Amino acid sequence: MKKKLMGLIIVAAVILTAIGASVLKTRTAVTELSGYVGGEKIGFLEDEDVQKVLRKKYGLSLDYSKAGSLGMVTADKEGRDYLWPSSQTALELYKSEVGKPVRSDIIFSTPIVIYTHKEIARALEKVGIVSQKDGVYSVDLKGLIGMVEDGTSWKSIGLDLYGNITISSTDPTKSNSGNMYAGLLANTLTGGVATETTVQPYLEEIKEIFEKSGYMESSSADIFNEFLKMGMGSKPLAVGYESQLLEFTAQHPDTWEKIKDDIIMLYPTPTVWSSHVMIALDEQASAAIDALEDEEIQKIAWQKHGFRTGMAGVSEDLDVFQGIGLEPTVDQVVQMPNYKTMKKIIDALSEQ
Amino acid sequence: MIKKAEKRSGRLIAVFLVMVLVIGSLSLSGCGIQNKESKSDPNTSTLGSGSRTLRILSGSENKELESILEKYADKHGLTIVMTYKGSLDIMRALQQEDFDYDAVWPASSIWMNAGDTMHRIKHAESISINPVVFGIRKSLAKDLGFVGKDVSISDILDAIMAGKLTFCMTSATQSNSGASAYLGFISALAGSPDVISQKDLENEEVRQKLTDLLSGIDRSSGSSDWLKDMFVAGDYDAMVNYECLMIAANKELEKEGKEPLYVVYPTDGLAVVDSPLAYVDRGNDKEEKIFLDFQQYLLSDDAQDQIQKTGRRSAYVGINEDNKDVFRSDWGLQPDKVLSSIKMPDTGVVTEALNLYQSELRKPSLSVYCLDFSGSMYGEGSQQLKAAMQQLLIQKIARENFLQASERDVTIVIPFSSDVMDVWKAEGNGADLEALYDKIDNLETNGGTDMYAAITEGIKQMSSYDLSQYTPAVIVMTDGASQNGFRDFSETYRADRDTVPVFSIMYGDADPKQLDQLAELTNARVFDGRNDLTGAFRQVRGYN
Repeated sequence: MKKKLMGLIIVAAVILTAIGASVLKTRTAVTELSGYVGGEKIGFLEDEDVQKVLRKKYGLSLDYSKAGSLGMVTADKEGRDYLWPSSQTALELYKSEVGKPVRSDIIFSTPIVIYTHKEIARALEKVGIVSQKDGVYSVDLKGLIGMVEDGTSWKSIGLDLYGNITISSTDPTKSNSGNMYAGLLANTLTGGVATETTVQPYLEEIKEIFEKSGYMESSSADIFNEFLKMGMGSKPLAVGYESQLLEFTAQHPDTWEKIKDDIIMLYPTPTVWSSHVMIALDEQASAAIDALEDEEIQKIAWQKHGFRTGMAGVSEDLDVFQGIGLEPTVDQVVQMPNYKTMKKIIDALSEQ
Repeated sequence: MIKKAEKRSGRLIAVFLVMVLVIGSLSLSGCGIQNKESKSDPNTSTLGSGSRTLRILSGSENKELESILEKYADKHGLTIVMTYKGSLDIMRALQQEDFDYDAVWPASSIWMNAGDTMHRIKHAESISINPVVFGIRKSLAKDLGFVGKDVSISDILDAIMAGKLTFCMTSATQSNSGASAYLGFISALAGSPDVISQKDLENEEVRQKLTDLLSGIDRSSGSSDWLKDMFVAGDYDAMVNYECLMIAANKELEKEGKEPLYVVYPTDGLAVVDSPLAYVDRGNDKEEKIFLDFQQYLLSDDAQDQIQKTGRRSAYVGINEDNKDVFRSDWGLQPDKVLSSIKMPDTGVVTEALNLYQSELRKPSLSVYCLDFSGSMYGEGSQQLKAAMQQLLIQKIARENFLQASERDVTIVIPFSSDVMDVWKAEGNGADLEALYDKIDNLETNGGTDMYAAITEGIKQMSSYDLSQYTPAVIVMTDGASQNGFRDFSETYRADRDTVPVFSIMYGDADPKQLDQLAELTNARVFDGRNDLTGAFRQVRGYN
């Protein structure tokens, strides 16, 4: 009897070990990659649907540390498999500082926009700076910058707001959206894609425009939240990514319902694309690029997080985001100045 | 893996950060002993009695929300422990390795971001939006022509210069409402530049105007909520505080049959805060879940509706139609007003501005420290007392807490036991002031305790100064019960025209009843120094 019991216990133990091993086996089959990511993609990476596809279909899991797009390139990359900045400038910097990456590809993109409130958009429309077509608003950035530089007050365009017209952005020396806005300013002032030579006479002017902003947040998410929460008087005009509002409407439909009549997305003409380019530091991360370009993931990226994927049949599905004033095709686009030009601008802005 | 490698910085941040780093190296005996705080501690409220506990370190202005929190606690089997501290102290606590709370709820993100050097902050959400405004006794506001009009900071300055207006405001270097208002003043008086710059701070004319404006302050405080209580209990013209605390004050004033405040939103110097509630991640998933449920409730339509009823605006939407009557127009409130705030300058400018406030521009303090050197203070007691005074008197150390003296400050030290032992005086912030510390350091303990004798002497010493030119305060620190001197003292005090607040710091076996009597008589406050004497001195220094 005792022997029989012993036998059963052994059998049970063997079975349990086998189950345990198989569980372990499926666990080890998931490769965990680690890398640096710009804060605006955290919502996407934390999305359980995204994680599920990565795990089940590709045996991948992406762990991340939040870092600035340019900062991550020069950060300690020990133990990291990938960098996922929000701009091509970071890739250029990587190439010049580190060398050719194992692989790089743009996973998705989003244009830089300027957020504002309806009353302000209307006032700017009256003075011919903002125009509207089929519910899509665009802003003449050159004209708007002119008003900022001239010290035009909000009162003078009929708004009961304190102070002069300024555009809030994140700190261009720390955060990508602010950095891209600096590039966009340089392009606008030079009247083309700014180069090291053409931007030279405008450096002081760019600096003055930023100095009017006062304290600048270092995170695109923070400035966007403040824009939405604190009302029209806090940040009348705020630079951000198109994806931020789209993601917000998808994630917080109830809140959006309450404020949708007031929030306006202005497309600068021309604007620049923020390209979320993944830089693979090893072969495993190269597989992650394939995984992130999976149609299912690209669909989630658009529908739940507002990133334009450029994939046929995905981003064209504009019905996902109704009543937001979404530009169907962002084609008034200019390239960002190259890395060396941006460095020159940032150096000028960093000077005290 | 560090998931939040990117450091979030805020406006006032670097300022406080620098200070905090230095302060961190000083002893902070108060940290980690919150458990021992007595139930009667006015700085702690225990709401509900459930088995699970959520501990929140909060700004004093959230006291007004306790009934909402308590209902939630009761319904969900929770105990919510609210510990109230000034913004600066919240930031300082966050900086510590040992942090005894599950969440923080300061007045403004500034303090939270500044304190979060260990990257433990998660799930920060704004619970309400509050502008910092002026509230002026309605009849006075009418006389000044402020009712139903746009009022600028210059208009307020004119009223002060004409001797028609004085006001109460918290210390700009200790409390968020004071700091926010002060930055608004600078912006307005510098002629509303796009943003305040170093140049504006160096401008003599701007400095003079700021000095004039701040000379209108007749009482200060380190806590916004206490300032409101003080205002309601006292007889003052006006105060600078959060809009919601103006509404709270008016409800109390109305109940007591007193004249309400008329709220003025300065057109050129308005500051707005966001009241963020955030989880502090110490690796406890269960608490995180409790926190998230609680936070979600506070953000729900139902809770936001109740919060609006306390005079707070909601993020995103402002004020619901149904709640607009809370923001009574006969009190000057404007529920539909667009809160158009000044732009915060960058951190270097803010540091400079706050230092300027503390060491030059604020109305000078006239402080009398009555220090108990009776026999029972022998040993550890007197050592702690000396260390505490070192923090205030040695300027290099004081500066780290933005508590440095100005050239115009007057400091009087009166050590006492059963009688006054000595009277030492120092004007300004130089060698004389620091010499006071040497004198204190040489003191030896002896004899019984009579704080009334020392306080009476202190008030007598003050009579040789024109008190309207100072923010005066007597600060008495005692560790024992005094003989029956209160009746005589109160008679003399009431007969006196000037009303100097007598703050007290409780230590050892001090009689809380005696100190409460003093606080009530003089519209002041008792600080508990039993666990952290240095901290109590630091706190009280923010009150004048």
